[in-house]
Amino acid sequence: MTPFEFELRNVLSRRDILRTASASSLAMLAGGSPRLAEAAPDKPKPHKATADTVILLWMGGGMAAPETFDPKRYEPFEIGLPADKILSTFPAIDTVVDDIKITQGLENVASVMDKASLIRSHVVADLGNILHSRHQYHWHTGYVPPQTVAAPHIGSWIARLLGPVNPAIPAFINIGQRLEGNGEQEELKAFTTAGFLGSEYGPFNLPFPEDAVNAVQPPKGMNKDRFEARQRALKAMIKESPLSDVASDYHQQSILRSIDNAHRLLSSKDRDAFDLSKEPKASYDAYNTGRFGQGCLLARRLVEAGARFIEVTTEYVPFLHWDTHENGHETYTRLKREIDRPIAQLVRDLDARGLLDRTLIVLASEFSRDMMIEGVPGSTARDQSRAKADKMEKPIQYGLHRHFTGSGSVLMFGGGMKRGYLHGETAPERPLVTIKDPVSISDLHATIYSALGISPATMFEIEKRPFYVTVDGKGQPVKDLFAKTPA
Amino acid sequence: MTRTLRSWISLGIFAVLAHAVPVFAQDGKKPGVDFIHDVVPILRNQCGKCHTNGVSKGDFAMDTRASLLRSESVVPGKSGESDLVDRIVSDEKDFKMPPEGARLTAKEVETLKAWVDAGVPWEESFSFRQGSYEPPLRPRAVTLPPSQPGFEHPIDRIVKAYWDKNRVSPPPVSDDVSFARRVSMDLVGLLPAPAEIDKFVKDTDPAKRALLIRKILDDRKAYADHWLTFWNDLLRNDYRGTGFIDGGRKQIVKWLYSALLENKPYDRFVHELISPPTPESEGFVYGIQWRGRVNASQVREVQFAQNVGQVFFGANLKCASCHDSFVDKWKLEDAYGLAAIVSDQPIEINRCDNPTGKMAQAKFLFPELGTIDAAAPKAERLRQTADLIVHKENGRFRRTIVNRIWHRMMGHGLVHPVDAMGTPPWSEDLLDYLSNYLADQGDDLKSLMSHIATSRAYQSVASPHSENVSPDDYVFLGPELKRMTAEQWVDALWTITGTGPEKPFAAVTLPERTTDSPAAGPKVRAALMDCDPLQRSLGRPNREQVVTSRPEILTTLEALDMSNGKPVSDLLRAGAEKILERNPGKSTAELTSWLFRAALSREPSADERATSAEILTDKPTADTLADLLWVVVMVPEFQLIR
Repeated sequence: MTPFEFELRNVLSRRDILRTASASSLAMLAGGSPRLAEAAPDKPKPHKATADTVILLWMGGGMAAPETFDPKRYEPFEIGLPADKILSTFPAIDTVVDDIKITQGLENVASVMDKASLIRSHVVADLGNILHSRHQYHWHTGYVPPQTVAAPHIGSWIARLLGPVNPAIPAFINIGQRLEGNGEQEELKAFTTAGFLGSEYGPFNLPFPEDAVNAVQPPKGMNKDRFEARQRALKAMIKESPLSDVASDYHQQSILRSIDNAHRLLSSKDRDAFDLSKEPKASYDAYNTGRFGQGCLLARRLVEAGARFIEVTTEYVPFLHWDTHENGHETYTRLKREIDRPIAQLVRDLDARGLLDRTLIVLASEFSRDMMIEGVPGSTARDQSRAKADKMEKPIQYGLHRHFTGSGSVLMFGGGMKRGYLHGETAPERPLVTIKDPVSISDLHATIYSALGISPATMFEIEKRPFYVTVDGKGQPVKDLFAKTPA
Repeated sequence: MTRTLRSWISLGIFAVLAHAVPVFAQDGKKPGVDFIHDVVPILRNQCGKCHTNGVSKGDFAMDTRASLLRSESVVPGKSGESDLVDRIVSDEKDFKMPPEGARLTAKEVETLKAWVDAGVPWEESFSFRQGSYEPPLRPRAVTLPPSQPGFEHPIDRIVKAYWDKNRVSPPPVSDDVSFARRVSMDLVGLLPAPAEIDKFVKDTDPAKRALLIRKILDDRKAYADHWLTFWNDLLRNDYRGTGFIDGGRKQIVKWLYSALLENKPYDRFVHELISPPTPESEGFVYGIQWRGRVNASQVREVQFAQNVGQVFFGANLKCASCHDSFVDKWKLEDAYGLAAIVSDQPIEINRCDNPTGKMAQAKFLFPELGTIDAAAPKAERLRQTADLIVHKENGRFRRTIVNRIWHRMMGHGLVHPVDAMGTPPWSEDLLDYLSNYLADQGDDLKSLMSHIATSRAYQSVASPHSENVSPDDYVFLGPELKRMTAEQWVDALWTITGTGPEKPFAAVTLPERTTDSPAAGPKVRAALMDCDPLQRSLGRPNREQVVTSRPEILTTLEALDMSNGKPVSDLLRAGAEKILERNPGKSTAELTSWLFRAALSREPSADERATSAEILTDKPTADTLADLLWVVVMVPEFQLIR
C-alpha cells in the first residue's frame, strides 16, 4: 500500500473503508478460511453431471450382505446346526431382473431391481478392533479418523460445492439420527459436521421425521402475526442501532444475511415439504413402516421441493437394528419389513414423477457381517458376538453376529446409473470376500461426486495443505455403473 | 445470476461476492482461466525475475493481486486498456516486456488477456514472495521509541511510531461505556453490571480505567470461567468427546480450572502439562486414542508432536508428521523427534504411513536451546522437554502466547493467523517487547492482559474485522470488532434473564465469587457445561483437534436455531417470566430501559422505545417480553464485542 493510500484510508470515513475492504473480507466468507482450489491437470476431469440430488439411505450398524442383497447358501435354523455351516439365514428370492437374486423379506425392493445398480464388491478398510462410528466416520468423510483437521461429511462437501437446488431447502439434510442421549454420540458428532468447511455447510438435523416441520416454522406457541411482528421489530431495531454505522462490516452483514435466510425458510411456502401431515393418507401409509419409512417419505417430499443431499438413516444405536451381536435372524426379519416397502415406494414415486433420472439413491452401510469372521480373515480383532456357539441351540444364536469388512453390498438407483445392473462378486463360500471388481469407499465417493459433476480431485487448501474430496484426489469413478459412458 | 438460482445458504454471501471476487469456482467446475496452473507459470517465467519477490524494477512489483492493481498496469475486465497487455505484445524497444529474450507465445498472450478480461482472478493467499522470513528463537531486547503526549504507555510508544511510519492517524479513544463493556467481555467474558457502568462513568479518577481492569482481573472465578474456554479449545480438553468411550482420553479440567483460578504462571502451567506432577494434568500429553488401528501419523505420540508444535510454538507439524513439509522448514525427523520423547517404546519413523526402517531419536524442536537425553526414562525426557519449552531463552514460546492473547483481545494477531508463527509480525518490536514484558512479570498472564488493556491501543475505538487481509496489506488500526463466542452469548442470556444451571457439568469445585465484581454473571457459566446443541450450533467446537479461533460468522443454521430452536425459545420464555417476577409493576417504558441497560449497557433511543413499545404492548406479558428479549439479543450490537 502506498503512503498515499494510507492517507486516503485515514481520511475516508469508516464506512468507506469498510466498503473498500469488503472484497477481501468477503472472499473469506465464501470460502471460510479454507480455500477452494482446482484439480491438478493430471487428475480426472469432472464428468458432465448425471444427477442433481443424492439420497443416501444409511443402514447404520453394519448391514449383513448375505442377509440382504448378496444371498448365499441358506441354512434354516435347526438345533445342532454347526455355526460354521451358516452363510445366510434367509433364502434367496427372485427379482424382476433375471440374474439378480436378493433375500427373502425384500420382495418390494425385488420388484424395482430393474431400476437398480447393485454393487456386491464394496470393500471398506479394516481398522482393527471394530468401533462402528469410526467406520461410519470413514464412510461419511472418506477419511479414517482421527484426522489433523476436521474432515467434512460428504453432504457438507456437496453443499459447499453445489449449494442447494432450491434456496429455501437446506442443502444438506440429515434425517433420522439422534445425536444426543445415545451411545457413541460423540463419535457420531465427529463426522456429522461440515468440519473445516464451516457450519454454514453443516447438516440440518431432523432426527424425527414427524417433527420435521417444527424445525422450519415459528417456535411453538407463536402465531404467524407475532412471528412477523418480532421480525419487523428486529429489522427496525437494527436500523435504529448506533452500530449500523458500520453496516458494511463483515460481521454485521453475516448476521443480517443469516437472519434473513432463516426467516425466509421459516416463512416460506416450501416448508410444507417438511410437513408429513400434508401427505395424502394412502401414500403416507404406503411409506409408514416407522421412522425410517417416514424418513423416506420426507426425503421424497424434499426432493420434489428441491433438495441437494439427504441422508435417511435406520439410525445407528449400538447393539440395535443392523448391529446384531445376537438374535440376528429375527432382528433382520423386522428390519427388512421396515425398509423394504418405503425404499421401493421411494424409487417408484420418484420415477413416476420423472425425478429418478436426476436423483441418485445410494443405500450403503459401514461394513457387512458374518457368522464366523470378525473383521477380515486372519484379523486379531476382538470377537464381539454376544451369542457365541459352535452349534445352534437356540434361535438367539442364529444370525450373523460378527463384523465383516471383507465385502459389502451397495444399492443404487437413478442419477445416471445403469438399471438392472449387477457389479462385482463375492466368494460363494466363506470367507465371503470380494472376488471381482472391488469398489473402495474412495471410488464409491468418486462415483457419487462424478455423477454430480464434481471432480473427485476437487480440493481445498486448509492450513496450507491440500484436502481433497476423495483421499489424495485419487478416487476413481466406477465407469461401468454409469448408463452412458461419461464424457 | 438471479436470486432464485442462488443457494439457500449462500444467498447473500455469493451474491455480493460474484462482483467482488471472481476467482472462486464455486461450483467446483473449471473456471475460464486457471490462475494457478495457467497464469502463474507465465508471470513467474516472464516477469518474475524483475517484478516479484522483493525486486521491483521500474517501481513495478506484482507479488500480490493488490500490488499488481496498485501499479495500474492492468484494468480488471479490460485487457484492451491494460498496460501490461500492451507491453507484452509490443515490439517497441523501450516499451516492450520482457525487455529482452523471446516474446511471449501467442497462446501465452491469449491466456493473460483472458485472465485480465476475467477480472484478474487471483488465489487469495497466493503471493510470489518467497517465505524467506526466519522467525527469531531467542528473546530480543527492544528500544522503545520516544514517548509522545497521549502515547506514554510502552505499547503506545511502539504503536505510535508504527502509525507515524505508516502515516496512520490514531483512532480516537473509546468512550467509558464501550470501554467498560469491552474490557469486561474480553477479560472475563461477562456483561458489565449496569450499576457498575453508571458508577464508572461518574467516577472522575483519572486512573479509573486501570482500576477497573484490576478489579475485573481480580475476580478470579469469572476469569477462570472465561479463559477455560480458550484453554479447553487450545488443549483440546473436553468433558465428553471421542476417545472417552474406550478410556482413550483423559480430562484435565480439574487441574486446568484450579490453575486458572490461581493464575498459575505460564511457564509453570506449561511445565505441568508436559511433565505432569500428578495424573490430573497428563491428559494433554496422553492425546486421544480411538478404538482400532490408526494411521502412523495419528498415533498418540505423533499427536503429541503436532500439539506441542502448534499450541506452544505456532508451528505446524501436521505436514511433517507424514513427510518433510512442502510449505515450511519442518522435517519428518522433527516431528518424530518430539514423538520419541513421549513414546513408551522405540518408535519407527513412518513416511506417509510406510515404515522407513529408521528409528526416531528423541529431539527437541529447537536443539539450539539444549538436548534431550534419549536414553533417559520417559518421565525424565518429558521433564527435560518441559524445561526447554519454557526456557528463559525460548522467545518463540512467549511470542506465541503473547500473540494468542493479543489476538483474543484485539481481534487480529500480531502474527496472523495465530498458528503461523513462522511468518512475520506486523510489528516485531511490539511482539518482542510484550514477550519480554511477560518474562519480566514472571510469566504472569494477567499482568500481560492488564498491560495490553491499559494501553491506548486497546482502548481505541474498534475498527471492523479484517480477516483475510494478506499480511502484506494488513495495517493495525486498533482493536477490531469480534463476535461473541457461543459461551459468551449463552452466559449473557443467562445473566440478563437470571436463569442458568445450578451445577456445573465439568468436574470442578466452584469457588465463591468475589462480591465486588464489576461484572454480572450467572451462577454456573456455559464453559463449565456440556456442549449442548445450542452451544454446538453457535460454534463451540468438537475438541478433536486443537482449536485456536472461533468462527466470526453467524451462519444460517445458527440463525435458525436462534430464531425457532427450542432451547433458545424456552430460555427466552422462562427468562421473560423471571424478569417480570423480579421487576413487578414496571411499566413498558421502565422495562425497556431495564432491558437495554442490562443487554446493551445503554438507554434506548426514542425510536428504539417506540419499536419496543409496539412489541411489549402497554401490558407486558412473558410472551411480549420474550419477543423483545429476542430482538435485543439478535441485534449485531449485542452479538458483537465492540
